[in-house]
Amino acid sequence: MTPSDKAELWTPSRRGLIRSGLGMAGLVAAGPVLSACSVKGDDPGGGSGQTIKIGFVSPRTGAAAAFGEPDAYVLGLARDVLGKGLTIGGKKYDVQVIDKDGQSDPQRGAQVANDLINADRVDLMLTTSTPETVNPVSDACEAAGVPCISTVVPWEAWYFGRGAKPTDTKAFKYVYHFCFGVQQFANAYTTMWPQVSTNQKVGVMWPNDADGNAVRTSLGPLLQKAGYSIVDPGAYTNGTNDYSSQIAKFKAENSEIFNTFPLPPDFATFWQQAAQQGYQPKIVQVAKTGLFASQVEALGALGVGVAGAAYWTPTYPYTSSLTGISSKELGAGYQKKTGKQWTQQLGPSLALFDAAAAALKAAPDPKDKGAVATAISTLAVQTPVGNLQWGKGPNGNVVATPILGGQWTAAKSGKYPLDFVLCESSSDPNVPVAAQLQPYRA
Amino acid sequence: MNIVNAIVQGIFLGSLYALLACGLSLIFGVMRIINLAHGDLAILGAFLVWVVTDKTGISPFIALLLVLPVMLAVGYALQRTVLARSLRGGPLVPLLTTFGLSIVLQNGFLQVFSPDVHSLGSNVGTLSTGSWKLTSDLSIPYLGVVLLVVSVAVLGGLHYTLRATAFGREMRATAQDPDTAGLVGIPASAIYARAVAIAVATAGIAGAFLAIRSSFGPASGPAQLIFAFEAVIIGGLGSLWGTLVGGIVLGVAQTIGATIDPQYSILTGHLVFLLALVVPRVKATAPRKAFA
Repeated sequence: MTPSDKAELWTPSRRGLIRSGLGMAGLVAAGPVLSACSVKGDDPGGGSGQTIKIGFVSPRTGAAAAFGEPDAYVLGLARDVLGKGLTIGGKKYDVQVIDKDGQSDPQRGAQVANDLINADRVDLMLTTSTPETVNPVSDACEAAGVPCISTVVPWEAWYFGRGAKPTDTKAFKYVYHFCFGVQQFANAYTTMWPQVSTNQKVGVMWPNDADGNAVRTSLGPLLQKAGYSIVDPGAYTNGTNDYSSQIAKFKAENSEIFNTFPLPPDFATFWQQAAQQGYQPKIVQVAKTGLFASQVEALGALGVGVAGAAYWTPTYPYTSSLTGISSKELGAGYQKKTGKQWTQQLGPSLALFDAAAAALKAAPDPKDKGAVATAISTLAVQTPVGNLQWGKGPNGNVVATPILGGQWTAAKSGKYPLDFVLCESSSDPNVPVAAQLQPYRA
Repeated sequence: MNIVNAIVQGIFLGSLYALLACGLSLIFGVMRIINLAHGDLAILGAFLVWVVTDKTGISPFIALLLVLPVMLAVGYALQRTVLARSLRGGPLVPLLTTFGLSIVLQNGFLQVFSPDVHSLGSNVGTLSTGSWKLTSDLSIPYLGVVLLVVSVAVLGGLHYTLRATAFGREMRATAQDPDTAGLVGIPASAIYARAVAIAVATAGIAGAFLAIRSSFGPASGPAQLIFAFEAVIIGGLGSLWGTLVGGIVLGVAQTIGATIDPQYSILTGHLVFLLALVVPRVKATAPRKAFA
């Protein structure tokens, strides 16, 4: 090809360049899409031996990478025990855990799940954290007939988000889930908010995404039933860089309670603008952002006193049945090993392995996928997040676990600047309450 | 009164967009490359400033002064090593190169800095939270004013450099016709390297302000790139004053859209951008003369 041919093929016109540039910019904005090189399993016949293979998919990179941060530690704990093998029905099986990164991307999540199913031939799948990772993995498992246990997606988003009808009592055969739902949020909020005297006007900033819309249709009515009035300026788009109009509305309506389900940068922008423009509610109830200490720490002084909710803390009075590690030891061990503060994700991630081991032991034959799936449907197992029991929850596939309200306070001692203290435990009274909710910057 | 506040906040937001867009505009104007890693380079600047601030406890603004030479060097090296090679492969290759660079940078941040989010807002004290409250509905944030001043200074300074200095003349000549400029003794490669160095440094400034105004993590870059790109197009390609105007138009469009309904905030910005593309204007249609 001569240079002139080349020039004709792709004339570098300005419009053309803008067009492709915009397309590419859109592609960049959509997140790093890495579809390259999947790691193939070395032993395609592994499904027939005496080795049980467990697949584990979580977001380790991408937008939800904070969820996957403690995975390496939890996987280490699980492998320490499972590496010794499991004795099931008098027969000893080797157990291999294969972990994959879902990259916070649904396509990638589906791809690694299919790799685990088809190439590695896993006997049981575990997956956690955000619908973007969990839902496609669950879909792949249901389609392929591989039992799957998942967590850390509000159960409505997992159950109804994947096509179950409200009338279904058990929509799926192979996939099972444990997580909090909207009802647990309502319990936490309506128990915690009366601890501070307010005018019961809740300014809400619920984004135009899966979480925000689910919260708007389900949580809103529950809060109204509990006597709160909702000031909703409307759904905003994630990534918005200015919140003046919402702030003006909350100020005009004098909303003394504020609730939002934002991404971390959006909350940082909003909360700084609220300070600049003089909106200071008495209760700042933030979900999604604030699951992890760093997201609140980044706000500096503005972050102290923000209320949140937790699906696990080291003060949970439960022990992992597989590893024998208590919640307190789990948090302390992670801090000692990594030097970083405990995160909520430790509890459910380890709970997945507790449930996995219990399910394999409960099945007559751990290599029989149908039998394992049936075993999970009636499984009872002790985990760091509580005693899970399938078959009694809101539907046949789901166990509703608690999410408990609490507040980020300045730490009194230790190397970390903030502490998360539980202020209520309405969804699980066994968990000790540490303090009363304090008005924001009282 | 809300609308007045919306416009005022929009101008300050637009200043940030303009600051982000100015390096993009410069690289496009001189080299005809759309740098898709620009947002991630801004985040690189944010991380560097955060590291210096965190380790030494000095003000982020002083830290930024220390980081700027590093960013200049990064830009210079980037052109000399990666972009210069890809430029030889035709106009599409640099686009793909910068796309790849964006992914490499994001995953690099994740490796080095962990997925934790950070903010510099608390390191500048009341500058980030304080404001002049003119009425109950209208406040002028200190940070917004600083942003406006800095972006006018950076874009104005660059504009002046291009118009009135020998270096600017060389850059304009290279932008118009690198071969002819080479004939009269202006090596395009050297000019390109300096242009990218300056562009990356401005990305660093924008990144620092982004970090002060909000929080950032390893994957924060691409979200801002689209706004910077729109600011460049709205303002007219290759014109630095145009980029300032474009950024502010975009910012105000978003805040006014939000006063109608929060859902329309980003959408209104996109609509203004599309309008700028379909309506033929003098500036948008004359990019070749932009630096002339």
